[in-house]
Amino acid sequence: MPNLTMIVLAVVQGLTLLLLAPLMTGVSRMIRARMHSRRGPGVLQDYRDVIKLFRRQDVAPASAGCVFRAAPYVILGAVFLLAMALPALTRHSPLSALADLITFAYLFALVRFFFSLSGVDSGSSFAGIGAGRELTLGILVEPTMILSLLVVALIEGTTNLGAIGAGIGGNYLQSPAAIGLAMLAFAFTVFIEMGKLPFDMAEAEQELQEGPLTEYSGPSLALLKLGLGLKKVVMAQFLLGVFLPFGCAAALDAGSLAIAAVALPLKLLVVFALAGLIENSMARGRFLLTSRVTWIGFGLAALSFVFYLTGL
Amino acid sequence: MSLTPLGCLLLSVLLFLAGAVLSAVLARCERLAINLSALAGVAGGVAGLFAAAPVLLSGHTELLTVAGPFAFAHFTARLDMFSALMVAVISLLALVASLYAQSYVREYQGRGAWAMGLFMNSFIAAMLALVAVDNAFWFLVFFEAMSLASYFLVIFDQDEESVGAGLLYFLIAHAGSVLIMIAFFILYSHSGSLDFQSFRTLRLPLPTASLVFVLAFLGFGAKAGMVPLHSWLPRAHPAAPSHGSAMMSGVMVKIGVFGIVKVGIDLLGAQASWWGLLVLAVGAVSAVLGVLYALAEQDIKRLLAYSTVENVGIILMGVGAGMIGLATGHVALASLALMAAFYHLFNHALFKGLMFFGAGSILYRTHTRDMTQLGGLARRMPLTALAFLVGAMSICALPPFNGFVSEWFSYQALFAMSHDGDFMMRLAGPVAMVMLALTGALAAMCFVKAWGMSFSGQAQSEHAEHAEEAPFSMVLAMGVLAVLCVLSGIGAPWLAPLFARVAASLTGGFMVPVAQGLALHSGQLNTPATVSTPLLALLLLAAPLLPFLLVGALRGSRMTRRHGGDAWACGYATERSMTVSPQGFVQPVRFMFGALYRLRETLSPAAFATRGLNGAVAGATRVEPLWDEYLIAPIVAGVQKLARRVAVLQRGDFRVYCLYVVVALVTLLLISVR
Repeated sequence: MPNLTMIVLAVVQGLTLLLLAPLMTGVSRMIRARMHSRRGPGVLQDYRDVIKLFRRQDVAPASAGCVFRAAPYVILGAVFLLAMALPALTRHSPLSALADLITFAYLFALVRFFFSLSGVDSGSSFAGIGAGRELTLGILVEPTMILSLLVVALIEGTTNLGAIGAGIGGNYLQSPAAIGLAMLAFAFTVFIEMGKLPFDMAEAEQELQEGPLTEYSGPSLALLKLGLGLKKVVMAQFLLGVFLPFGCAAALDAGSLAIAAVALPLKLLVVFALAGLIENSMARGRFLLTSRVTWIGFGLAALSFVFYLTGL
Repeated sequence: MSLTPLGCLLLSVLLFLAGAVLSAVLARCERLAINLSALAGVAGGVAGLFAAAPVLLSGHTELLTVAGPFAFAHFTARLDMFSALMVAVISLLALVASLYAQSYVREYQGRGAWAMGLFMNSFIAAMLALVAVDNAFWFLVFFEAMSLASYFLVIFDQDEESVGAGLLYFLIAHAGSVLIMIAFFILYSHSGSLDFQSFRTLRLPLPTASLVFVLAFLGFGAKAGMVPLHSWLPRAHPAAPSHGSAMMSGVMVKIGVFGIVKVGIDLLGAQASWWGLLVLAVGAVSAVLGVLYALAEQDIKRLLAYSTVENVGIILMGVGAGMIGLATGHVALASLALMAAFYHLFNHALFKGLMFFGAGSILYRTHTRDMTQLGGLARRMPLTALAFLVGAMSICALPPFNGFVSEWFSYQALFAMSHDGDFMMRLAGPVAMVMLALTGALAAMCFVKAWGMSFSGQAQSEHAEHAEEAPFSMVLAMGVLAVLCVLSGIGAPWLAPLFARVAASLTGGFMVPVAQGLALHSGQLNTPATVSTPLLALLLLAAPLLPFLLVGALRGSRMTRRHGGDAWACGYATERSMTVSPQGFVQPVRFMFGALYRLRETLSPAAFATRGLNGAVAGATRVEPLWDEYLIAPIVAGVQKLARRVAVLQRGDFRVYCLYVVVALVTLLLISVR
């Protein structure tokens, strides 16, 4: 069972990531605008949006049911839980009892389940289609995600995320090809989960991953925007925490925690900037053909598994 | 008076039989028959639980042998940990199903509701007896009784679909039992006795043992509904009345799994690792294909039946990993994998029972299983909707519900196999895990669709618009199962050691540590993985406090929430038909996995059967003209020829006829004179 220091650390870490989320999505918007040769809103625009939405009235269609109402709370809650359990400031997870690879995969599934069910429950046909697409994307991503994490889990002999991160951070040379490819494959799934082109167009809200948002307004929309933003940050940190745990505090002393607190936003910024650059140099594809693209990711993961088997 | 566990089991079987007989005797007053058979079912279920509990808690095997009516087969009853687990699962679901039936069967009043009590109760009695006998002959007798009673449940509606489904079920069930009979016969011919105990001590040469195992695997696998022998299941299970579907999907398929474990591990001792690999592979394929086909269904009960194929696949993956562990001497792995399989077996009985009850309540109130005709039921049947949601979340393995716990253990077992095993295991383990992950993602889509299309949005038909909440006893039955789903998820640290003990009883007493304080534990790995479901549940309940605080703190001068008007439809007026349809919802998946859907048509033995039947009919049509040509046509031609000859005599001339008369007279005269 976690002790008090760890619980405090977990909450602080969760809140830090939550507060960083609108900044990171703001940076993404900024990069997109600049690459489109627009000025774009400032990087703080998403904070302003969310705060304004909280003051607005919550309006929903008559057909929207109780899952529609509950979903924003469940989703933000579950993503916040993930943010608390990730290895972010420290090498090991503050909530070690939850930082398990399988538990994480299914907590993400919980978010996806409620997000898409809320879309169906709104009674809107756009949200319904968006929900179906969101789930389809999940089906395409899940095998790659599990396989790439599995390879490093097998190399380290545990499914605990903190232990994997700590093990890998100490020694990349045990099977460099396998780890490198697994990281690439996992980065690919993180990219998809962050809702990027060619898999999604986040600014058009009748689109895929934001499709279920169609009928939301006011504080519910604010909560969902926060939740989805936090999910992007959590995905990015998932990649960093497991594969690139540099700068994270190995022990709980003030100095290394301070370094970690500085390193965390910087590393996230790099991931978001890279994702933004890649996204905006891509063209959009037809949704039904997405599976052709995701095969690349799965191929990378499978290749890294083969390398692991042969011990490279 | 205190009863021994076997005494309790006997009492339970007798109570179910009494329910069956009473229901048949009281055919005239159906109301009474329904109530009495429900009462007998509840009492029988309680007695069954009392039979299983002491064995499960103490781990002591109960044995009893009496000379039956036949000299060649003793009637041996044996209640070990594993059969006690089966008895507990059967009794629990039978108890709740009887409660449910008390209201549900009223729908069938005047249409032979009494017969339903008869078949249902004898079906349960046969299953209870089946898991506890320890003799091949009696095993087969009860196996047949179970198949037959459930066959009558399948054809209960007597329409074209159910009779066709019943025929297919009958054929495949009996093809399966023939294979099992051959397997037992081979064992019998080597041991000289029909007792399972004699099979256990038998040391068969590997090729013979493998033959026996493969025969039994195929035979029991047909009952379990594994791919590719599954095609009867999605037709037969939905055709039965809903509590019958729940028993068939929740329990009867497990008899197939029970048989595979019984023969593969208990009797033959999992001698070769390729047996386990075979089971694992079949399980993985069943899981993925089962849920993929479930996804495409728009009949809610068929969707659930296909998802049974998926869950049997997940259970078989655990069983397969367990057999591999036993064969290669990784006892810890075997215990963990079997434990995961048994936990999932138990969980699946709970949530699949719950969901079939939910589908039954929908059917009871709206008279349709077609999801395009439902919609908006959450507002009219809120309790059913809530219970169904709990079932859907459990079956999707979302934390902290029970499905998550058993799948977590399955993953951990496969992980242990991938990590510690030889090359084959290191290759097979991750592949199986990836397929399990794919299954999980597909299941999420499948059950978002099932819940969403039935309970949310707008009502798509008159019936759905005027539905009301299901009657009390049905809601109670669903409520009990929903609460059990939650409890067996959150309470996993207390429940898991029980399943670990059952697994240990099959792996030579090796207890794998699966719980440590409030956390679940994966046993023997280098760095054991843990997850704590009580903590997870607590945090998942506490975490939404944060959004509540945010909404409260930043409210400003916000107006209160408003629900009204139509959903946005690009400025057009919303119509009922604009809502996303069950088919439209999953269209991308159907497109992307098109090849696997086409595979269903090619692989299905039903298609083979149909093709065979068509061939026979075509052959018969071809043979039929041959009869005409070579037998009937010559006779007809001969008769006609004769007739033409005779016609020569009939000239139609009066004088000729006179001449005939004269000739006849003269002839007669000549004969009489001589």
